[in-house]
Amino acid sequence: MATMKFRKSWLPAHILVWAYAVLLAIPLYYFLSSAFKSNEEIFSSPLSPPTSFGFGNFRTAFESADLGPAILNSAIVTVFSLALTLGLAIPAAFALARSRGRVASVMEKVFSLGFLIPTFAALFPTFLLSAATGLFHTRLFMVLFLPATAMPLSVVILVQFMRTIPPEMEEAARIDGASTFGVLRHIYTPMCMPGIATVVLLNFLTFWNEYLYSLIIIGPDPDLRTIQVALPTLKSQIGTDYGILTAGTVLTLVPVWIVYTVLQKRMQRALVSGAVKM
Amino acid sequence: MTMTSSVRPAPQSGQAAPLSPAGRKQRKPSTTVLAVPALVWYLVFMVGPMVAIFVIAALHWPGMLQSTSFAGLDNFRALFDDPVFWQAVRNTGVQMVIALPVMIVCAYMLGYYVAQKPPGHKIIRYLLFVPGLISTPAKAMVFYAALSPDGLANGALKAVGLGSAADAWLANPDTALYCLIALDLWAGIGFTAVLFAARLDSVPEELGEAAQLDGAGHWRAMWRIHFPVIKEYVGVVAMLQFLWTLFGSAQQVLLLTQGGPANSSTTLSFLVYEKAFMESDLGYSQAVGVVLFLVGLVGLLAIRRSFRQSY
Repeated sequence: MATMKFRKSWLPAHILVWAYAVLLAIPLYYFLSSAFKSNEEIFSSPLSPPTSFGFGNFRTAFESADLGPAILNSAIVTVFSLALTLGLAIPAAFALARSRGRVASVMEKVFSLGFLIPTFAALFPTFLLSAATGLFHTRLFMVLFLPATAMPLSVVILVQFMRTIPPEMEEAARIDGASTFGVLRHIYTPMCMPGIATVVLLNFLTFWNEYLYSLIIIGPDPDLRTIQVALPTLKSQIGTDYGILTAGTVLTLVPVWIVYTVLQKRMQRALVSGAVKM
Repeated sequence: MTMTSSVRPAPQSGQAAPLSPAGRKQRKPSTTVLAVPALVWYLVFMVGPMVAIFVIAALHWPGMLQSTSFAGLDNFRALFDDPVFWQAVRNTGVQMVIALPVMIVCAYMLGYYVAQKPPGHKIIRYLLFVPGLISTPAKAMVFYAALSPDGLANGALKAVGLGSAADAWLANPDTALYCLIALDLWAGIGFTAVLFAARLDSVPEELGEAAQLDGAGHWRAMWRIHFPVIKEYVGVVAMLQFLWTLFGSAQQVLLLTQGGPANSSTTLSFLVYEKAFMESDLGYSQAVGVVLFLVGLVGLLAIRRSFRQSY
């Protein structure tokens, strides 16, 4: 049956799809191989495999763009933002999933509509807010700000997971004398771990990859800037060294790559559900 | 939009509730207050700045440290007299008219292809996801390296004997905007296709089999049978892609062309950025922000209308 389905008429489709797949793969291959080459080698034979595997380009990229502190800054911002996102979204989802009141339903509407507000629309007013709070050029503002951008999606995903938890679980715990906080901690949180994992993975990607706000609000100071802000500094107006640029780019992809390879199935599901839920 | 509404039948007093009101209350204390911090956070950091756009757009504000004064609609008047603004409108229009339909149509067909599980579909799925993982600066660096005068594209052209067609793609006013569109498409088709494939996976298989028994070719099955089933979902994804492209293009423009050469690749969203952070014309910048917001709203409604479920 399966082979029957893909008759000759599928040939153009196969060709087109694989052509696109190659278009996706070539730049990645180009990046990986160029990271081990010099400018001359890259220009003379862009697609040939590297002749030697030295880490010189990586070292130069690391040093000239201060990628070490940048990776650390990105990690700090990402981890604290994730923690705050969960700290805000889990209780909120818990409240909205259990409640039947009108107030709660209005709140849920607000979060659902939040998808329609694109994150990057209000860059300048957000910059003003950071200046007004005295948090301009700090990582702290990003840690406070990023969870807000993640709130609608995180709350909606968690509410959907929490609605599947049978109320009898809570009733039983109540009879045993559990407090509301106890119910949240010992029943709801453990039981919607898959939802929490989805939220963490989705937001890990968004936070780690965030560029424009980090650029404006944290700024270009090498001690504070994140990896996404540091990366484009490797591109210079006068003669970019592509070996170093590509090596630096590869370095920024490593954490995402590791997470993707380890959690491929789960990550794909998270990304898809992130969009599906919208 | 498939929004989750929590409108449930309110518990009626006459309902078969075995517990007394006091017992019910004890069983389910109201916890709605726990949602307040998240809501406040969201209002302060997201909704507040959105509202501020409209306020700032009505101010004369020639720089961060300058004093402000009420401008009324002056910023909008300045805007509509500015050829750069109209250039940006045109560029954004071209970007939308090309990128959005091509992306949605190609992604749907690709998603359908992958959902049929042809040989090698696992590898394809893996590759399609890759652009979804890479940050915008990294994607821009990929394109920067590929399209620079000594880059991959020109190298490939020379290799096949078309060296004369080589160009400084990002520095040529005729091609700069199309390079940005190509970046959107390169990254967007794959990721969108995975979304469609996931949705098509959940369409009952009998549907496709019934179509095959009827002798419907894949082309017909794809557009006449599967498409109507997931039409609304396609519409939702189209709306999101529209918003991402409309508001997000500032990043690609900033990283690749800075709007140049000669404003040939300035989009509306980049104009907001440029006027605010490069030219310090803050009222003007946020007036463009208001226009962008309205364009987004009108676009959303239009897309929603054209994808309305028709059965």
